[in-house]
Amino acid sequence: MFGEQQRFMLFLIAPAALLLGLFQVVPIVIGANASFRDWALYNPKKTWVGLDHYRAVITDPAFLEVVLPNTFIFMILSVAGSLALGLGLALLLNRPFRGQKIVQTVLMVPLMVAPVIAAIMMRWMFNDQFGIVNAVLEGLGMEGQPWLVQRWTAFGIIVLTDVWLWTPWFTLLLLAGLQSLPKEPFEAAAIDGTTTWRVFSHLTLPMLQPVIVVCVVIRAIDAFRTFDIVWTLTGGGPGRSTELFSIYAYVLAFLNLDLGRGSASAIVGGLIILVVGVVMYRLVDRVTKS
Amino acid sequence: MYRLARRTLAAAAVSLLAAGAANAQVKELRIGYQPSPIQDASIAMFETWGAKNGVKIVKVPNSYGVYVEKMTASLTSNSDQYDVIWHNDDWGQLWAHLLEPTDDVKGLEFAEKWGMDKIVFGNAAGQNTVVPMGQTFSVFFYRSDLVKPEEVPKTLAELVEASKKLQAANKVKFGYVGGMSMNHSWFSWLWSMWGNNCDVLSPPYERDNKKLAANGWKSMMTEPCMKETVEYWWDAINTHKISPRGMPAYDRNEANAIFMGGDAAFTVADSLWWGTFNDPAKSKMAGKIAAARFPLGPNRKEPFAWDDIWGWAIPKSISPERKKLAKEMLAAMMVDEEGQMKMFKATGAPPPNTQFWPKIAAADPFMKLLKESVLDSPNKVRGAYYFANWPAVHKAFNDTVTKAVTGKREDIAKVLAEGAPLVSKAAQ
Repeated sequence: MFGEQQRFMLFLIAPAALLLGLFQVVPIVIGANASFRDWALYNPKKTWVGLDHYRAVITDPAFLEVVLPNTFIFMILSVAGSLALGLGLALLLNRPFRGQKIVQTVLMVPLMVAPVIAAIMMRWMFNDQFGIVNAVLEGLGMEGQPWLVQRWTAFGIIVLTDVWLWTPWFTLLLLAGLQSLPKEPFEAAAIDGTTTWRVFSHLTLPMLQPVIVVCVVIRAIDAFRTFDIVWTLTGGGPGRSTELFSIYAYVLAFLNLDLGRGSASAIVGGLIILVVGVVMYRLVDRVTKS
Repeated sequence: MYRLARRTLAAAAVSLLAAGAANAQVKELRIGYQPSPIQDASIAMFETWGAKNGVKIVKVPNSYGVYVEKMTASLTSNSDQYDVIWHNDDWGQLWAHLLEPTDDVKGLEFAEKWGMDKIVFGNAAGQNTVVPMGQTFSVFFYRSDLVKPEEVPKTLAELVEASKKLQAANKVKFGYVGGMSMNHSWFSWLWSMWGNNCDVLSPPYERDNKKLAANGWKSMMTEPCMKETVEYWWDAINTHKISPRGMPAYDRNEANAIFMGGDAAFTVADSLWWGTFNDPAKSKMAGKIAAARFPLGPNRKEPFAWDDIWGWAIPKSISPERKKLAKEMLAAMMVDEEGQMKMFKATGAPPPNTQFWPKIAAADPFMKLLKESVLDSPNKVRGAYYFANWPAVHKAFNDTVTKAVTGKREDIAKVLAEGAPLVSKAAQ
């Protein structure tokens, strides 16, 4: 049935395929099965309920009016913020200066910090009584703020934490992209006396576009499923005002212990990100071809 | 072929016999718990018993944040991962069908009856499924160096006045601090609500599911008492400024940190924090703390006491030998006077054997106060509801009151009205 070469290839991919199957495919299948059943974690009756859970999720005003908008706002702000800062840092690091390697290493530190640790750190930094942020503000004669009590300040801290965590990732990839660009167009621009801004906008940015788009697609999909920093910083509060899609699914499945509805919401989220992902991949394709 | 099958069957039989023999000679018990002073003290009693009886006590700590879901998954999968697990009144009915009945555990006759009520821990057959670890309830703590016992506020209005007075004299930064965010709402929302003749579901203080269902799982969010409670905290934070503006986002640890740091005069916390509050290594206020009854709202004149237990339970799915050994260990814990004395000293939590209470109260003023104001009180309140959807109800309640207290004062009634059906729906 298979030639020797094909059998060898299958042999090589078998361990990875097995792991993928056991830890990715099987749980998704179990979750999908649960989403059509009355499956409470404390009393899994597993009776068939059809699309009831899906209907409940997609007609839930909290899901439509709070969770989905929050998730997309978070995705856009976090990716845009990390990209802008990452690009800025990559451009700075792309020129030789004394201590460049040290700065480069220090900038990578957030990549080594677990998101939960970063979120705990931020929660204490923005604590209204003990936090360094209010201490600095009060030291400057300004009034300290209860940062985590209002929707948009709490949301801002979540975005800030995510941007802090992911900027080095953008920096690293964009720096690699910058260093792989051909030198000749830049040398020609220098001979012509082109301004720095024109070099950036007409040469660097267009030539770096494929790398940027790939980074944005990967990171946007990843941002959609962010859970840890939000859960640690605000738990989706105050009220439900900073709740993202992953928190919504988690609360249903593991706080309310309704595995059926939690699975349905996870699958709804999965389908949404699938559509977003397809659109983004088409964008990548178009950019790469152009 | 037949020979192979015979050999396989023989090997399987030998393995089963070996496993049975191993079970028959159980030499270790695995305890699933959440590290906390009271659980540590209780496990210390298990270890004392284990050392005497040649049984190794294996401690398996679990995070509080994922304890219920993790343990529920363990119980429903019929695993034998744990022999004894930490149990709490909140999950009494959630797990009742998954736990071994414990009525036959010796020493249970000395346990306090209110905390072990069938409504909380009874299974469908009316059997008990818990062995108490100790009483866990909250009390109203105050700074004894700033407030004399006769000056302790008895009403919520007096709490505001006393706080403002202390703040005006620069004695403290805040009057009151307590946890308010989800799963920490006992330390502000719930006690003040109960103290105002109010509750999450109607009728107030009712915990019989049949009666709650007969009433349509109606929430009390739109009742005047609830509006008064939310307005009280809105005013405490924004108008009187006796509580920090960040309080709606505080968990119990943040609130306790402020109290232990000396920045607040009053707080509500679990009585088992008594030991930590008075530990000079952890608290700046050690030795300057006392406790009193909860201040009451305008709708209530009689004091009330909130009383619950934490306990231990045995998963139904473990082998009979392990169940027997676990029950022996729990029975020994129930009568371990020395261990229970140590538990009270370390935590301030009344231990599981009521026979020891008078002795402790005779020697310790804090226990005397707990006994008079909580343990012997005729007006007790239970700290949770006892149906499977309680976590969902609790979250819907907390989301609503948090939204109300962080919004505009004039919108409080509107926000509570919007949240009322969500709370009722979560219960059904």
